[in-house]
Amino acid sequence: MNRQFMAILRKDLIRELRTREMLISMILFVLLAMVIFHYAFSVKEGADLTFFTGGMLWVTFIFAMLLGLNRSFAQEKDERCLDGLLLCPVDRVTIFLAKTAGNLIFLLIIQVVAVPVFTLFFVERSYAGDILQFLAVLLLADVGICALGTLLATISMNTRSRDLLLPIIFLPLIVPVLIAATGATTLIFAEGASFGSLLARVLFLLGFDAVFLVAAYGTYDFAIGE
Amino acid sequence: MKKLVSAPSLFIGAGIFLIVGLLLGFWWAPVDSSSMGFSQKIFYYHAPIAETALVAFGIAFVAAIAYLRTQDLKWDRLGYVCVRLGLLFSVMVMITGMIWGKASWGTWWAWEPRLTTFLLVCFLYVAYWVLRSVVEEEQRRATYAAVFAIIAFIDVPITFFATRFLPEGLHPVVITTGDTGMEGSMFASFFISMIGMTLLLVALIRSELLVETLKDRVADLKHSIGG
Repeated sequence: MNRQFMAILRKDLIRELRTREMLISMILFVLLAMVIFHYAFSVKEGADLTFFTGGMLWVTFIFAMLLGLNRSFAQEKDERCLDGLLLCPVDRVTIFLAKTAGNLIFLLIIQVVAVPVFTLFFVERSYAGDILQFLAVLLLADVGICALGTLLATISMNTRSRDLLLPIIFLPLIVPVLIAATGATTLIFAEGASFGSLLARVLFLLGFDAVFLVAAYGTYDFAIGE
Repeated sequence: MKKLVSAPSLFIGAGIFLIVGLLLGFWWAPVDSSSMGFSQKIFYYHAPIAETALVAFGIAFVAAIAYLRTQDLKWDRLGYVCVRLGLLFSVMVMITGMIWGKASWGTWWAWEPRLTTFLLVCFLYVAYWVLRSVVEEEQRRATYAAVFAIIAFIDVPITFFATRFLPEGLHPVVITTGDTGMEGSMFASFFISMIGMTLLLVALIRSELLVETLKDRVADLKHSIGG
């Protein structure tokens, strides 16, 4: 299981790092979104955007992830790579976990680039002291987004409308993560937050991840098909 | 083929309970003493509809699990019918909720946890419908729909919990543990309305199932004569 997991993950990473088309378009998308947000929200000169920052950040990441999810599965499908993968004696759940891990790594790469730029653009207060809390929120929300996203992308790529379907089924389900992550991030950016004040949201994200990892674990066999 | 008959007696029963519940709600139960006053009467419709919608989605959830275990399409039909009816009830929850909101809070829409949850529930199950419409193969459509119905139903309480994170909502907390916050006559009226609404759901599920089964049979017959 472990070796199979690593093999699938490595395949995904190598394929992406060779072409880099998905990563580059996701990074460009995120940076462009920031510029667009700046002009969309700066209704007057010197407006304080602090209380919009968390929202901007997570909206951008979730949309970027939609872009990436569609892309990652379109390639699998078009090249019939997935058929090959399904013919291998690999547990379907291992495929799910490897795919989720791959998407998580891509999202983290995007965030490594995007978060510093975002901070430079929008966050006026230094949150260096709260960096641990911030990373915890980031990672927990990412796991939820990637687990649910991978499951739903697997379903949507097998349908007639493919990338049109994914946002419709993914966005309403991810709203709880958006609520918790946005609240926590805004709190960190705006006033600095101890783990205590974030506890409810962090636990919530943890619970969300656990519930949907288990749900995906139970249903992925059916989602990926014969 | 198993005989499936629509049951007019269920509709009649539902009608009686709903009318009696409403009459009792208006004439027997007292006018609410809190700020809501007379507008609280809509509660005898609004809350039973909301609970029935959740029951419908709950049945769809169970049917989805049953389908994945048995691969029997009858469960898929049941799930589909329940989601469709649940969606109908959810829209009615939103409409009655907005009317109540306008009457007692003075606004058509408030980002209040329960109303927001139902809005998201509507989006979720509309997505279920869209998902079904873009898969042609029957077994595959049933499988994806079942997976999505399971995930969606799990998401409902989580969404409700998340929306509660927001500062104090406006929604009156009617049923809390212990004290129900209602007088006996109010609770009785509510309970009778709820039985009526649940009966209505069961009656609708049965007749919808009949329609779906007949549709499938017509399709089969058409197929067999080469249409």
